[in-house]
Amino acid sequence: MSSEPLLRVENLKTQFFTDAGTVRAVDGISFEVYEGEIVGLVGESGAGKSVASMSLLRLVERPGEIVGGEVTYKGETVFGLEEGPDGELREREEMLSNEAVRERIRGNEIAVIFQDPMESLNPVFTVGGQLREVIELNRGLSKEAARAEAIEMLREVGIPDPEERYEEYPHQFSGGMRQRVLIAMALACEPSLIVADEPTTALDVTVEGQIIDLVDELQAKYDTSFIWVTHDMGVVAEICDRVNVMYLGEIVEQAPVDELFHDTKHPYTRALLNSMPRPDRTVAELEPIEGVMPEAISPPSGCRFHPRCPDAREVCRRVHPEPEEVARADSHPHNAACLKHDAFDVGYDGSAPLEGDPRTTAGGSGGEGGE
Amino acid sequence: MAVGESQLESGTESDEGVEARVGWRYTLARIADDTTARWGLYIVAVVLLVALYAFVDSNLSRLTLGAVSDYTFANAIPIFDHPTRIPDPGEGRANVPPAFHPEGTLEYPLGTDRNGRDYFTRIVYGTQVSVMVGLISTVLGLVGGTIIGAVAGYYGGAIDDVLMRAIETLYSIPPLILVIVFTVFVGGANIWYAVLGVGLAFVPVFARIIRSQVLSVREMDYIEAARAAGVRDRHIILRHVVPNSFAPVLVYATLQIGVTILIVAGLSFLGYGAQPPTPDWGQMLNTSHGYMHSNIWLSIWPGLAIVITIMGFNLFGDGLQDALDPRIDD
Amino acid sequence: MGLLRYTGYRLLQAIPVLIGISVITFLLANLGPGDPVSLMLHGQEHDQELIRAIEQRYGLDKPLHERYVTYMSGLFRGDLGQSIHHNRPVADLMLDRIGPTLLLVLSAYAFALVTAIPLGVLAAKRRNEPTDHVSRLVALFGVSTPSFWIGIVLILIFAVTLGWFPSSGLIYPWRPPSTYRSIDGHLELYYESFRHLLLPMIALGTLQMATIMRVERTQMIESLQGEYVKLARAYGVSERTILRKHAFQVAQLPIITIVGLNLSTAIGGAVLIETVFNINGMGRLFINAISQNDYQLVMGITMMLGTLFVVGVIITDISYAYIDPRVTYGETD
Repeated sequence: MSSEPLLRVENLKTQFFTDAGTVRAVDGISFEVYEGEIVGLVGESGAGKSVASMSLLRLVERPGEIVGGEVTYKGETVFGLEEGPDGELREREEMLSNEAVRERIRGNEIAVIFQDPMESLNPVFTVGGQLREVIELNRGLSKEAARAEAIEMLREVGIPDPEERYEEYPHQFSGGMRQRVLIAMALACEPSLIVADEPTTALDVTVEGQIIDLVDELQAKYDTSFIWVTHDMGVVAEICDRVNVMYLGEIVEQAPVDELFHDTKHPYTRALLNSMPRPDRTVAELEPIEGVMPEAISPPSGCRFHPRCPDAREVCRRVHPEPEEVARADSHPHNAACLKHDAFDVGYDGSAPLEGDPRTTAGGSGGEGGE
Repeated sequence: MAVGESQLESGTESDEGVEARVGWRYTLARIADDTTARWGLYIVAVVLLVALYAFVDSNLSRLTLGAVSDYTFANAIPIFDHPTRIPDPGEGRANVPPAFHPEGTLEYPLGTDRNGRDYFTRIVYGTQVSVMVGLISTVLGLVGGTIIGAVAGYYGGAIDDVLMRAIETLYSIPPLILVIVFTVFVGGANIWYAVLGVGLAFVPVFARIIRSQVLSVREMDYIEAARAAGVRDRHIILRHVVPNSFAPVLVYATLQIGVTILIVAGLSFLGYGAQPPTPDWGQMLNTSHGYMHSNIWLSIWPGLAIVITIMGFNLFGDGLQDALDPRIDD
Repeated sequence: MGLLRYTGYRLLQAIPVLIGISVITFLLANLGPGDPVSLMLHGQEHDQELIRAIEQRYGLDKPLHERYVTYMSGLFRGDLGQSIHHNRPVADLMLDRIGPTLLLVLSAYAFALVTAIPLGVLAAKRRNEPTDHVSRLVALFGVSTPSFWIGIVLILIFAVTLGWFPSSGLIYPWRPPSTYRSIDGHLELYYESFRHLLLPMIALGTLQMATIMRVERTQMIESLQGEYVKLARAYGVSERTILRKHAFQVAQLPIITIVGLNLSTAIGGAVLIETVFNINGMGRLFINAISQNDYQLVMGITMMLGTLFVVGVIITDISYAYIDPRVTYGETD
């Protein structure tokens, strides 16, 4: 692994300005992706994973907006703000224009595999035609060459009779087959990074397994980096090299995958792991996470996880922890944003535990009263 | 998706299950919030008030101002088509231009017609005819459509097939054509037959909506339960099925009032609706068409009145649709 | 089911509807109090012999069901009967008059599509901006305004006041230029026929335009929110291409259906517009037949217009099935 990351995200903030108030969907996250690795972005739905991954390509739609932070890809500033002479934030000069992001980054440098294979392909164009258009656009190939490449990619992702199926429409493909098409589309652009946004969520388990094997195999072959967005710790264990755990718009733990599983440093990650079905455990042993994730529109004070945290103490209600390095593994830091670690030194040990059922102590934020 | 009938109904299919989230209070609140619906409501309210006013005040003061209105509601019961007093052409000043015209006078704000009748009074009375016609024929279409649609949807099978073919047939004859043939051949150019004809012409529209609603409601558990408990079919249809499929129909009916007024105006314009001297807007346009070069305004005012009225109902219907459809959020 | 079989299936389905139309028109035309015989006699009603002779000639002395059977068997032979007033075969009369009506309706549709689709797309693209508000207002006016009144206003402005366009009649581009005394050569023929057609076309097309524009706007808004649009964006497709190709194609399908279903309003509108602009089409033939109690002609025209609508819907259904790859020509219920 090289020392300079392929993608560096620093303190990224994306907010949605709705009538009900500002939703801080992504609230200052930082992470890196190095060449050839698969980085997981894990969390419950609503944690801000998808918004974060779309922010990397500046694909946030209104009323959402990236309001802060920096995204650097191969040394180029995809997004970056600086303070102007008048004290206002403004876009940095070296930030790529909309045109440049669209033409140079989207597709040919960073490609996306979408969540919903049933809806992501245009119903009125042939599968092959859609694939060809994307290849033409991102690789600068002629129509014929793009067509040949599209058929080749369909074969590559395991679609039988690719020549015939090239002419078919999306509704003639099963969900798993459509997801393969989407993977083919991403790979065909020969990007250095692929953002896979919960690509297997909509599929049934057997197909999910096939798709994951396929990605694993193709990733080894093409040496593409991946950001794998998921809520499924099982998938993370299977394919990711390093993992970022998100909770309510923030990254709460960041570590190489083995480290994360064996030396979990954040109570939320632990809760996620405990709620995961495993062959060595019965259903009765599953421990669902207590409570409901609060709305990002009015996050709890202090540590955002404290209303649901079994280890929460009085101090957690007051002090908001930023991720700190709490251990090191394979030259990668193991960061966690939990006050119980010594790195924080805010008097956690001396603080009184929060009383009672975690759900009832959800201070300041209604789990359900948001609307 | 299969083509054919399903496409014809696509506009209404999506409205299924509206009740699940929508109560009357919620709907009213959304109407109040919706600018479109509010404006529609204002216009409709004004139009209704004008119609009501014409009904109550049969002795508008301007009748005595020299201009003659041939028609007053009170002495024209039962309602339409009773020529009361054929005006004496010399009684009022004919062809007075509107008040803003240099030769106009405030006495006749919209001018007078060839017979010296005050146009403003006639426009006001015309409101009555249009509103009554629009409402009554829509209700007729709604009632007829509800009965046929409910029966077809509830019983299904052969009954459904026969009824729906009949509905499709009726639907295939362009409404204006059907209404003209009905009015003239069955009734003999009388506005009541026109009202009946328009109602008939719009039975298919309502029957289709009701049927597709009923089809979706029919399978619900509580209907099954009622059937299992031995409740009679007619009772089930009237008490359970129809009320539960009414929300989208209501929206449609509101929008349909506009269409109905449009058709009746066309009918009267052709001379087969309201008969002179009844002051009906379409009929006024018919009369003024012959001499539109000499007094342009006589062709403008009734049209504007029609447009404003229909626009009111359309705005209200659009707003109602937004309010009842939880999917659309602006 | 293949497309061909689907077409056959739809045509078969149309048969009971067409028979139904014939029953309805026959009943309406024959049950009413209007008596064609007395109308024809112009005051000689007391001549019983004459009445009987006329009734015999037109078969009016037979019972209703027999007359219907006679009428239907005529229909199958392509014989729509004899016009009482014109004393000519109904079919001939209609053939003479169908041209102007078709020209009017088709050009109105062309006008509606050409204006409504770009406006609808623009409104969707600039949703909730001034452009959108203005075009929605235009659409609202369009669906709320009687076509015949638009015709009257157009005449008042462009014919009476400005004198730019003629206020009545049509020039038929398919006739030789020598038919018209003042016209010299084909170029002038086309120019004149366009000049005559413009106002009635706009008057009849406005309602269609408004309806299509509303649907186009809604469809485009929905289509632009589709996942496939997000995907296209993520792969660097330009907004222009997304709007014109990706979102647009999906949004056009419902338009086809709308065009077919609106045919009945367009045909009804043609009756009014032909009256306003003095165009000798089916519409005026119909109105005259009505006022002359020419029930054979009325039946013929009603049958014809109903058939026109049925055929129009079938054509749009089939083109929908042909264009939309998702359609599986299934049974309709």
